[in-house]
Amino acid sequence: MEGADLAGKLLSPWLVLVLGLILLPSALGVNLGVSEIYLKVLVKTLQWATIRIEKGGRKESILNSASVGIIERDESPMEKGLSGLRGRDFELSDVFYFSKKGLEAIVEDEVTQRFSSEELVSWNLLTRTNINFHYISLRLTTVWVLGVLVRYCILLPLRVTLAFIGISLLVVGTTLVGQLPDSSLRNRLSELVHLTCCRICVRAFSGTIHYHNKQYRPQKGGICVANHTSPIDVLILTTDGCYTMVGQVHGGLLGIMQRAMVKSCPHVWFERSEMKDRHLVTKRLKEHIADKKKLPILIFPEGTCINNTSVMMFKKGSFEIGGTIHPVAIKYNPQFGDAFWNSSKYSMVSHLLRMMTSWAIVCDVWYLPPMTREEGEDAVQFANRVKSAIAIQGGLTELPWDGGLKRAKVKDTFKEEQQKNYSKMIVGNGSLNAKSD
Amino acid sequence: MGAAHSASAEVRELEGKTGFSSEQIEQLHRRFKQLSGDQPTIRKENFNNVPDLELNPIRSKIVRAFFDNRNLRKGPSGLADEINFEDFLTIMSYFRPIDTTMGEEQVELSRKEKLRFLFHMYDSDSDGRITLEEYRNVVEELLSGNPHIEKESARSIADGAMMEAASVCVGQMEPDQVYEGITFEDFLKIWQGIDIETKMHVRFLNMETIALCH
Repeated sequence: MEGADLAGKLLSPWLVLVLGLILLPSALGVNLGVSEIYLKVLVKTLQWATIRIEKGGRKESILNSASVGIIERDESPMEKGLSGLRGRDFELSDVFYFSKKGLEAIVEDEVTQRFSSEELVSWNLLTRTNINFHYISLRLTTVWVLGVLVRYCILLPLRVTLAFIGISLLVVGTTLVGQLPDSSLRNRLSELVHLTCCRICVRAFSGTIHYHNKQYRPQKGGICVANHTSPIDVLILTTDGCYTMVGQVHGGLLGIMQRAMVKSCPHVWFERSEMKDRHLVTKRLKEHIADKKKLPILIFPEGTCINNTSVMMFKKGSFEIGGTIHPVAIKYNPQFGDAFWNSSKYSMVSHLLRMMTSWAIVCDVWYLPPMTREEGEDAVQFANRVKSAIAIQGGLTELPWDGGLKRAKVKDTFKEEQQKNYSKMIVGNGSLNAKSD
Repeated sequence: MGAAHSASAEVRELEGKTGFSSEQIEQLHRRFKQLSGDQPTIRKENFNNVPDLELNPIRSKIVRAFFDNRNLRKGPSGLADEINFEDFLTIMSYFRPIDTTMGEEQVELSRKEKLRFLFHMYDSDSDGRITLEEYRNVVEELLSGNPHIEKESARSIADGAMMEAASVCVGQMEPDQVYEGITFEDFLKIWQGIDIETKMHVRFLNMETIALCH
């Protein structure tokens, strides 16, 4: 009894604190400013740490920016690279060019580096981001140890509790709301439940989100597209407005949440088998946006998580549905925590735990003006246009490669395109050579 | 890199052998680990993970060059099954820009090394000569992606080029003199006086550590 008494005494003030400081403000959408203070303290500490590292003097301990890379690639197009030596035996010289290109690709290729976390320029006191971990000074190590203690012993339990509360509230809340008859009250309540729970979950990551251009927030009956870095992208967008989510039905905890959510709000969940049938998917989505009262659909056209330094190919399927597209750019600040989910390295649960033991998740969300498909533009061109807009706004580089390359190999059709270009050039020359003979 | 002390002795040795700076070696080591999947050696299959390389028409020859015993300076012919980091760096060093501040002899030597690397790429059976068959093989590979080009055109291109090479190396031939193939000396003759340095080097950046504040 004594033990239970004690536990009760310890828990109740804590619970009251949690309720007052987190749950109520989340429901009302009010920000108490605790995160801002926390972040300011964090930034000052990290600046101090960086200065100490520099003073430490050892050059190896400073990371080089990954975007600089190790080689300066020769970006000149194939024609220029191949010309010049053409007076002589042309195949011999072309082999020079291709072996150089091949070696550049082996040393550093643009695609696979997008599937691993971004390297930081200055250390952020998390060993997971520093590959060249050297001992610098006692003070720095003490601060790091303190950081570990704070993150694992204070922040982690708090965050896990919050996440737990958030998820259970979501499941219970949406099930209850689902019992009500279809009416505007029900829709408003469902939105409220979704918003509150997402805000609680975002606080579970100590997330700070800056929204820009709120006037372009996606409207009902539209489609919202965004770049994809992490499974919590959905949470980040839903804190500011409700969306209809699209995706596969999962098992386990995620499945429970999905089934609960669809009771109060018409999310579009597909069975695995249905996902393969593109026409079925397009049909259902078209029906959804035809109803102007329904919430905007949220789609991630890249199809997989990319590491937030670039935007990869947008799959054209989402752009064939029609309707107005509202692009959104999401950029995380890697200094405070790495949001990228490397699904080949970590499972979802370990990824979430890693995020909960980082400092914080800080990101910027830019809403972009709506776009529609123009006359004479096909789905692929439209997709590229939207992709450029998002990349420019978010400060990300644009790559034409398919995110599916994370797991699959390059399509043969792509290879053949390139080789066709080259052989056109040779045959052109070859026929000239034959004539001069 | 864990234990700093023994690693730096190794790094210094590699620096001397291959000419890369220690920062470049560390960066390349990370790339090596990424390609090998954290194993100590790389096999041919590991190069399948580089999407950019897939587009290259002579991909298989490039990969083969990494395992060629002649390039690795391990023997006159044959292919190694796997290569370690030092071998990796050895191959990379063929693509380092020629340091023009070195003496003329050194420059000539580096140039020869690069041309020899390319010669090995053509001479797949390691007999010291690029025969007509081997030449045709390279041209076919270069043109392999285009289904519209028939084998015949590829052959005629190769034959034409081979004849030109013969005229450069041997001069006027007797009617029944058979041109055996391009030897390395002939190969050098073809490229005499032509600046190949810019075509055959990869600009490795000097990793000056940048001190940055957040």
